[in-house]
Amino acid sequence: MWKKASSVLLATTMLSGLLAACSGGESPKTTDTGSSAAPAPSGPAGKATVQFWHSLGGKNGEYLDAMIKRFNASQDKVEVVGTFQGSYDETVTKLQQAVAAKTGPDISMLERAYIQMFADSDVLEDMTPFLKKSNMSQDDLTPGLMGHSVFDKKLVSLPFNRSTPILHVNKTMLDEKGLAVPKTWEELKTVANALVIKENNEFKRYGYSMPYDTWYPIAMISQAKGKFFNDQGTSIGFDSALGTKVFKFLKDQQNTGALYYPPQQDSGNIVNQMFISGKIGLMYQSTGVIGSLKDNVKFDYVTSFLPMDAVYATPTGGANLSLMAGSKNKDAAWEFLRWAMIDPQGGLQFILDSGYLPFTKKMVESQQIKDLWAKEPNRKVAYDQLQYAVDTNKHVAWPQVMQEFFKAIQAIMYDNKAIEPTLDTFKKEAERLLKG
Amino acid sequence: MSFEWKYVRAPLSFLLKAIVLMIFIFPFLWMISTSLQTFQETLTFPPTWIPSIPQWVNFSTAMNAGPFLTYARNSIIVTFSVILIQVLVMIPAAYAFAKYRFAGKEILFSFVLLAFMIPGQVTFIPVYLMLADWGLINSLLPQILPFMANAFGIFLLRQYFMQIPQEIIESARLDNASEFKIIWKIMVPMSMPALATIALFSFVSHWNDYFWPLVMTDSAAVRPLTMGIAMLRETEGISNWHIIMAGNVVLVIPILIVYLFASKQIVKAFVYSGIK
Repeated sequence: MWKKASSVLLATTMLSGLLAACSGGESPKTTDTGSSAAPAPSGPAGKATVQFWHSLGGKNGEYLDAMIKRFNASQDKVEVVGTFQGSYDETVTKLQQAVAAKTGPDISMLERAYIQMFADSDVLEDMTPFLKKSNMSQDDLTPGLMGHSVFDKKLVSLPFNRSTPILHVNKTMLDEKGLAVPKTWEELKTVANALVIKENNEFKRYGYSMPYDTWYPIAMISQAKGKFFNDQGTSIGFDSALGTKVFKFLKDQQNTGALYYPPQQDSGNIVNQMFISGKIGLMYQSTGVIGSLKDNVKFDYVTSFLPMDAVYATPTGGANLSLMAGSKNKDAAWEFLRWAMIDPQGGLQFILDSGYLPFTKKMVESQQIKDLWAKEPNRKVAYDQLQYAVDTNKHVAWPQVMQEFFKAIQAIMYDNKAIEPTLDTFKKEAERLLKG
Repeated sequence: MSFEWKYVRAPLSFLLKAIVLMIFIFPFLWMISTSLQTFQETLTFPPTWIPSIPQWVNFSTAMNAGPFLTYARNSIIVTFSVILIQVLVMIPAAYAFAKYRFAGKEILFSFVLLAFMIPGQVTFIPVYLMLADWGLINSLLPQILPFMANAFGIFLLRQYFMQIPQEIIESARLDNASEFKIIWKIMVPMSMPALATIALFSFVSHWNDYFWPLVMTDSAAVRPLTMGIAMLRETEGISNWHIIMAGNVVLVIPILIVYLFASKQIVKAFVYSGIK
């Protein structure tokens, strides 16, 4: 008797477990018609469904969702489903496995430095024919942001949420000391050292800071007229003297307290917080923080070009949008991309909301952008700096070389290793990776 | 010498415990404090500990930032299905490994140990490709199926079962008890502390898991809470830490509740020795 009862009990629990598992899989499709992302070639009412993977969380994610909603409401042929896929790096991982499994999206956001790797494996569609069909051309797009769009004469990505590093300035602090915003490395050195406050062998205030990232050393290499990779893509493009100059510049100032180099973990948040609370007067940081800084600082806040050495130069950042070669809905997906580029309710509104750089010439000339820049000149500085935009870290093997460059930065900035031998080791490692 | 030591030991042990407790509890307090602050307060330095006005609204802001009801439901279904199936697989498997003799037992058990040692980061691509091939990517099954057998659980429970004297099982067999009855009436009740421990570990690791759902799910409809909270972060720019921490508090509460119920059993599992 007991035996029977217990086996029935066991069977029921087991079944209910399986049922729970199954219904968990089924129910989202029926209950969440609004947000459901079940991939189907055509959604309800004969609409073509376009899957769009992106990496925007937080406020910017909300702005992007709002843009997608506006598109879906604007017409009744295409339904775009935007899905957050984690950070830029995580999206790359997901995209790699999804392309292999043929479960990939129609459109994907790609951090600009990863685009070449995907272009090289022929998984990104050439958008030139689509552009032509829509009577548009590459010249309609912002030139400074096109560095990661054309590979092998194919237009494989369009700039979308793009940013650059820029110099954020606590003008109040500089004014107190009678200092002008630095325009060159030498001026930066003078200003930063003048801002340092040291009491009882402890730094109360530093001059400037920058997040732990390859972005800023690369910017400085370009400013010293070097290239990160050489033109043949066989080695790094700056010699030992130039590399030493860049890192010696940083290291010397780190030693005097002019530069605070933050710890690796959460370095971006640390430097933002130090800037807001007046622990540093200047900050190298993405244009992406302008909006939050403007709302939260209690001093006169301005932006300025990154200081020049031989020339002004800045790398670009952020992400582009690519049409996936494996998409079965390319025309529908293109319709969304086209709309995002030309419709004032599309990309333009997203740019106004988020503060990313306007990515078409039409946007730059639009009244809305002009009004925004009149109100917030800090944003115009970011756009103006684009005339000096140059991305020299372009190579299929960049993600691997980046890891090695990080190691070199760590050795120099944290472990006080001698600069020259460290860069020599980095060069050797880079050449090995570039050959592969 | 030993006399003096006695007086030092108690306060010292108290002090060490207090330090360890602080190390563990500090991040929790920080999280709760931040979850109740305004954005401005999260940015001030030195940091505020007690928010001037507790911002309960952060919780609703966090929960309204996405389909959090769907996320919560998915988290609950996935975690509880995993635990249930694991327990059902684990008990007979551990019993067989502990008490039976059969050909290939050692080899099979070494497979279990192997599974125990290989992290998900190694297997996720083949598993994803296989499940995509079966058309399961838009269901919750990719978060459940790969975890049906808990290798660590089988291992731990086997050790536990081996401590139970063979005589007890033999005498039950003499009384004509079926194998099922032996498991259900003898093995399971005697190993309750171990089972509770394994279930709790499993609960915490699946409830908190970020990596596996990230790589196994492509749409919001099948994602758990952890993914929803990751979405609160800014990709570039300054994150709203007060909102993210409010999300984290919501994520952690069920773990604390489950722990409250299971803690007694867990302590037992570690002090258990022999049969009473």
